[in-house]
Amino acid sequence: MKPDGRIKLVSELLDLPLIDSEGRYCGVVDDVELDGAAGKTLRPTALLVGPGAYSGRMPGWAMALVRLLAGSRITRVPFSKIRTIGSAVELEVPGEAVGLNKSEDRAERWIPHKGAL
Amino acid sequence: MRAPMGICILCLAACSSGPSADLQYIKQARSIGAEWALVNEQAQADQLTSTYVESMHQWLRDGLSTASSSLTEPRSAYGAEIRTLLAEPADAAPETLRGHVNKLKRIEDQLESA
Amino acid sequence: MNPLELTLGIMTAVGGFVDISELVFAAKAGSTFGYALIWVFAFATIGIIVFSEMSGRVAAVAKQPVFNLMRHRLGLKLGLVTLIASVISSLITCAAEVGGVALILNYLTGAPYLILAVGLTVALIASIWVIPFEWIERSYGLLGLFMVVFAAALVAIHPPWHQIASGFVPQVPKGLTTKELLTFGYFAVAIVSAVMFPYEVYFYSSGGIEEGWSVKDLLTNRLTSILGMGLGSLLAISILASSAQLFGPANVDPEIPGTAALQAAIPFGKWGLILALLGMFFAVAGAAVETCLANAYSIAQFFGWKWGRHKKPWEAPRFTITWIALFIAALAIVLTGVDVMTLVEFAILFSILVLPLTYLPLLLLAGDRKFMGQYANGAIAKVLGWFYFAVVGCAAIAALPLYFLTSGGNG
Repeated sequence: MKPDGRIKLVSELLDLPLIDSEGRYCGVVDDVELDGAAGKTLRPTALLVGPGAYSGRMPGWAMALVRLLAGSRITRVPFSKIRTIGSAVELEVPGEAVGLNKSEDRAERWIPHKGAL
Repeated sequence: MRAPMGICILCLAACSSGPSADLQYIKQARSIGAEWALVNEQAQADQLTSTYVESMHQWLRDGLSTASSSLTEPRSAYGAEIRTLLAEPADAAPETLRGHVNKLKRIEDQLESA
Repeated sequence: MNPLELTLGIMTAVGGFVDISELVFAAKAGSTFGYALIWVFAFATIGIIVFSEMSGRVAAVAKQPVFNLMRHRLGLKLGLVTLIASVISSLITCAAEVGGVALILNYLTGAPYLILAVGLTVALIASIWVIPFEWIERSYGLLGLFMVVFAAALVAIHPPWHQIASGFVPQVPKGLTTKELLTFGYFAVAIVSAVMFPYEVYFYSSGGIEEGWSVKDLLTNRLTSILGMGLGSLLAISILASSAQLFGPANVDPEIPGTAALQAAIPFGKWGLILALLGMFFAVAGAAVETCLANAYSIAQFFGWKWGRHKKPWEAPRFTITWIALFIAALAIVLTGVDVMTLVEFAILFSILVLPLTYLPLLLLAGDRKFMGQYANGAIAKVLGWFYFAVVGCAAIAALPLYFLTSGGNG
């Protein structure tokens, strides 16, 4: 499905995995940013990725726990960077180009680069 | 309101001690005794490695010791029988061990039919 | 379809079928109720075949593993509940497997149990780090084929085959007291849980993606599920039947896992014992690896991290840190000194409670034509899938009451 086609935000987009142009997993659609106002046309403008985007989807006490464990980072992926939406959201660009994969890069510094066949 | 609740608590306490509560430990001890006898019988027939036999003796004894210390009525006849079984040497004769197992089995059957 | 790949896949599934929970419950079921619980093993095996085939098909067609699609289906809140429950369940199962492997190595070598647990955890971590994915699964699975000695031992003791055959007919033994009936019910629930552990589906589905399955592998998926699990369950049934023949009449209800090895020692002597212990070692070690990786897959897929052992460890860093941390957490549980049999009981209980949450999204996804196209569930898969979902739902409701009423099956 193309991103400018008809789509059900909750059942067809929310919580789908994100795969970048190099075929790498780079997050999950945690929320959707909409542009518009009451009484006007609403347009989705970006996907929101990161623990900060759980806010509004979880009870307050659970959100406090999430902030404690994982922080409140949100990465904004513009809708214009989406290639297709199917069983995953496929991006036109590498994850780094839209600010994804930062935690992965930080974690990589802890892993020795040797020994695996 | 308090009296019925108190009776309930007393009933629960009674159920959690005594021969009925000890039945699971008597079964465990009976089975461990039987496993022990089987191991020694096979060891005598040279069917097992000595490492396996020693290891099994250690774990079976640990299990028996746990069952014995879990009894709510350790001074009962079955408590004494389990302690006698525990006091047997590691390489006790299978027939001796099965003697204890049979006694525990009779106690187990009596409690289950009560 | 590559015949060699298919054969290796089936043999891996056979050798990897039995884990510490199936070993323990098969032996106890046989000694306590004779051949009367054989049908429950067969019944539960059909269930795991149905859901494994579905999870492999979803992986091959939608090219997404179960947990990715599970979050999409259940949403964040219910998805998180499922994730937490399955992480706890798989962690306890992993601890039971790690403790079980250390115990089996203790029977073989006599070295101290807790030191073996630490050393084995390091060795398991090293094996996952170094060995490429397809050989991780294959090496443990193929070496687990030493378990075939249990089937050979059953033949060697000349059991009553007609009684074993009649054990495949659904039944409840006559003349049981109320307590015995409840204990029979508990064993049935425990066997369903042990055979249909959720980690098996997560690992199988993620493994299919790791191996790059596509629609051309659907037949391989089906044959591996049916033949691999079907033949593997015969090993578990062999242990049950030998236990009925050898242990029941001797008043043995195996209280420690090592007693099961006597089934091979009695007809074959020391070599039978050693082969049985080696088979148990590799089968349970393989299960430890599977539960740990399945847990790491679930967490990584839920949060959209890079995952997979087909990548080098540093190419999926958060996934790598996760599976190492999970192994250390499982070891920490073992080092508390809690008995392996107790861990097995808790693993069984937690798993059966999680099973309905695991299988419902899979059932919905595999039947969704939007994701699966022409490969969505047909009539047979639909009927069997919903039937077994109802079964695991009923088992989940009955599990805790039966556990408490029967003191964990001890009567």
